Amino acid sequence: MAKVSRKLQTLIDDGLFDRLPPTFAAYSFDRIEDWNKLFPAERNYFERLFGMLARSDAQAVARLFAPLRAVEAKMGVDRRTWSTREFTLEHVDFLQRNRHLAEWRKTIADIFGRIDPLLDVEVARSGRPRLVVVVSPSELPMGADRMWRRLQEKGKLVSLSLDASDAPEDYLARMFSGAPGAGRAAALFDRFGATRTQDAYGAWVVEAEDSLHRLAESIAGWTGLSYSRLADLREILMEQVNEMVTREQIPGPRQLGERLQRMNPGALNRAAGGDPALRDFLQSVLLNGNGTLLINNTFVEWAAVQAIRRARPALICVAFGIRNKVKPFSSLLIYSDQEETNPIPTQADMLGSYVDLEIFYEYIWRECEKYAEYRRNTAYLFVGEGMDALLAIGPADFPLLQADKPIRLEEVFEAAVQWLNI
Amino acid sequence: MVSLSKRRFLRLSGLAIADRLLPLRLCAQTPEPQDDGDLKIILVTFGGGVRYAETFAPEGVRNIPRLRALRPTGHFFKTCVNSGVLSHYNATSSIVTGNWQRVDDFGFDRAAGPTLFEYYRKAAGVAPTDAWAICTNKSFATMGAGRSRDFGEPFGANVVLPKQLLLEAVSGVIARAPAAGVADRTNVLRRLENILNAGYEGIGWTIFKGGRRLDRQVKEALTRSLVEYIHGPEAPNSGDELTFFVAREVMREFAPRLMLVNFWDMDVAHWGAYSLYLQAITKTDRLCGMLWDEIRANPSYKGRTLMLVLPELGRDGDSDTANGFLNHRSGDPSCRNVWMLALGAGAGKGETDRPIAHVDVCATAAELLGVKLGETAGRPIPELI
Repeated sequence: MAKVSRKLQTLIDDGLFDRLPPTFAAYSFDRIEDWNKLFPAERNYFERLFGMLARSDAQAVARLFAPLRAVEAKMGVDRRTWSTREFTLEHVDFLQRNRHLAEWRKTIADIFGRIDPLLDVEVARSGRPRLVVVVSPSELPMGADRMWRRLQEKGKLVSLSLDASDAPEDYLARMFSGAPGAGRAAALFDRFGATRTQDAYGAWVVEAEDSLHRLAESIAGWTGLSYSRLADLREILMEQVNEMVTREQIPGPRQLGERLQRMNPGALNRAAGGDPALRDFLQSVLLNGNGTLLINNTFVEWAAVQAIRRARPALICVAFGIRNKVKPFSSLLIYSDQEETNPIPTQADMLGSYVDLEIFYEYIWRECEKYAEYRRNTAYLFVGEGMDALLAIGPADFPLLQADKPIRLEEVFEAAVQWLNI
Repeated sequence: MVSLSKRRFLRLSGLAIADRLLPLRLCAQTPEPQDDGDLKIILVTFGGGVRYAETFAPEGVRNIPRLRALRPTGHFFKTCVNSGVLSHYNATSSIVTGNWQRVDDFGFDRAAGPTLFEYYRKAAGVAPTDAWAICTNKSFATMGAGRSRDFGEPFGANVVLPKQLLLEAVSGVIARAPAAGVADRTNVLRRLENILNAGYEGIGWTIFKGGRRLDRQVKEALTRSLVEYIHGPEAPNSGDELTFFVAREVMREFAPRLMLVNFWDMDVAHWGAYSLYLQAITKTDRLCGMLWDEIRANPSYKGRTLMLVLPELGRDGDSDTANGFLNHRSGDPSCRNVWMLALGAGAGKGETDRPIAHVDVCATAAELLGVKLGETAGRPIPELI
């Protein structure tokens, strides 16, 4: 195991994990095993979680875990069959196939249902304003009234004042940096990075193309992921997976998953700038088996959701794109480039993208609202590039919710700056 | 594609597909004519994983116009619960065995007990042509028979995996001449071969070991014909369309009394494009409707066929941390609670609120076929008996 924090190591040395039920202990060990691959928010969570268990009354902890021990007994789990210091694929397989899996899952959920509210109180005490901006591409064939329909009742449509003389290409620059022209003024995430220097991974930009990246003054102080800019990495990963499957004759998905976790292409490390946490993040996002290697918006949504779940950024700017139409038989060509394998001309799927994004807006909002860091202090801006309205969701004191007349794009930027205090 | 007449398909493909789907030893056996009173059963998995929210929930029925229209004509079971492992193979295997299966998720293991096909064929002593499984999911090669020593392959269903054939055909297309217009064909072909058996589910794959292997010559001929078919003017777009086509051919040529039709395209949801998932649902709905049309038009089936349509599993709910519709492993109600629509002979008209279970399907079908099962978790559904 990589070196964990001194605080956590003390708890391990004191035998905390040996006192926990085997499945819980093994899973916990697995999560903290690669300490240097965890984001600060994750490290902080584990320190608080195990710290609380260690300082709680032993009988109360025993009562908390009693139902889990009972289920484990039914499942045939005990300390002789389960090492508490590793969580292997065999463990996963055992759990997945066990007839008591549903009960085990529910019991685990119940345990966290009792622990997390206690931990959330600590988080809420140190809460601060957060901002989530989700940008939709200008090509979507819908007006503001038909955008964000799953979320509209949670917020307010804010009219934007657009002048006919305004250059459409400056829309995002004015909203994100308060001035026309990319790179002429510090973007929100630049300012955040410059102001909150102690808050590593506090600002993220995740996008299908690179229109937000191009607004940046600097590459420091924020974390950026662009599907289009990762094209080379994606190609390399696809080739390596295919090579692996061909040459190593990997017998099944479990074994493949394990091999994927051990893949270590230099390109991945370079894309992550040598940062082990970010490298691990990219690897898991791109190789999770869903469509993140293949579909731009799937990558954006999944990466954004994972960033929220793991890094808990105070500012996250997400920009979707238009996905291409899937060509006939593409479902058969999972790791192949459609452009190469199919002579049919590529076409953008506007309507399909609109349908895809409607649910992704909701998923991003839902993901944030799961965590105490975001609840009650997060403002959400759902923006359609070029549109004369945006959807704002947030606490009553978020400035844009008071707007009673159309506002300029620069005012959106100013409200965001004021909200984040950057 | 699916509007092609049989004659047109045969002309395009240059072969009588059903004749060549069978191992030669089976082709030699002429199917027994059916008695008029024989009830036939077609199990259709509305498959790949679909949620109530996108099907029979008020906001979802627009995606399934055919089933929505058919619902009042049959018996609708509002809750059909999958209490087993939430993988496609285990879920479907549970349906055809009547016991919750906990074997390999990708079909490397056979079901722990006999399937309905085996019970039926052994008890009734019917020809091999009387039980079929036509499956889009490529890992279903072993779906026709379990690993029980007293039963097994000699009594199992003929299994056809149209998508597997399609894959081979597509490989052929890509390997073809520059006229195909594909850059770097060799590389693409290598990739295709690598992922030949990949499912939508993650990057899981299975190695198609043949199950009831098609005769090599037949298989090659079929592959060649499918290449021609793909180049035809009404090319199919998915494995499910070909599954429908093959199922219909089997019905017309052999009129089996027991058949499983496994659709699977909607598992494209793993790609993370909601619109593609919805399109696949609507396509499966259309294919189910067409299968029902065939039953009503085919003299061998008309008036004496019970068609049971059910998803083998749902997908994760929107509020689930596993990213909602993309996956189906959370075990939440959205994943486990689906529905079943029974149409045709013996189904009557009505709706049942009481939950039934996937394993009940096998027990019910066995009862209707007059077959005695061994120990099963499922119980016959009274409304259908």
